Amino acid sequence: MGLIQREIEKEGIPTIGVSIVREYSEQVKPPRTIFLRWPFGHPFGAPFNTAQQRVVLAEALRALYTIQEPGTIIDLSHKLRGEKFDGETIDIILPRGLNESRK
Amino acid sequence: MITRFPSLSRKFTASYEPWKSLDIPWTPVTTALENSKIAVVTTAGVHHKDQEPFNMKDRDGDPSYRIIDITRPLSSVMITHDYYDHSDADRDINIVFPVERLKEFAKAGYIGRVADLHYGFMGHITGKYILTLINKSAPEVADRLKKDNIDIVLLTPG
Repeated sequence: MGLIQREIEKEGIPTIGVSIVREYSEQVKPPRTIFLRWPFGHPFGAPFNTAQQRVVLAEALRALYTIQEPGTIIDLSHKLRGEKFDGETIDIILPRGLNESRK
Repeated sequence: MITRFPSLSRKFTASYEPWKSLDIPWTPVTTALENSKIAVVTTAGVHHKDQEPFNMKDRDGDPSYRIIDITRPLSSVMITHDYYDHSDADRDINIVFPVERLKEFAKAGYIGRVADLHYGFMGHITGKYILTLINKSAPEVADRLKKDNIDIVLLTPG
């Protein structure tokens, strides 16, 4: 995944990757990564846990705008099971004007 | 094989030697999130049922890609990938290919819009196919994304 990400970034499109194997990301060095210690096949969490999936998506988009150093891996501590996710969390992770903070 | 014996997955990871990169490519983000058009590139083995499945017989994997058109019903999509247990993703594809969540984000105004076309690869490309991936398939997809005026690409694994 990281190798493809690198080629897309090289062509001039900003990318963000969701990783579940930190060692791969460390060695392949994609430009921006969020990492979750979750099992294979579950980068966005558990099936039908839409609130959880939205949180991971929001974290990925946030990282795209907050990572300043190429190769950064953001370690997230979200739990695959037993963590309550709700709609309000998205507005906290992705506040309006997040883009402005970079300019 | 590994799908049927998930414990093999971790053993595979332990023996899998990833490509080691030295440099890190970088393109600054210039488009505001709420104006951005987003596409997904997944290595979870996602493709349409009427497309040729990924080749599971070659030990080095399959470096080709499939174009996923999300204007088609999501039920037209399936996963071919023997190197991880995708039984949960078979029930809800959004855990590897979060297209319904992206559509919700567009509707809520967090992002500008979701692309119609997305790209499916099979992960665990090794050996002779690493260079095919780097020199051919990935640049081809990058070119398609550029022509489609994509502002942000989200990469998701299996």
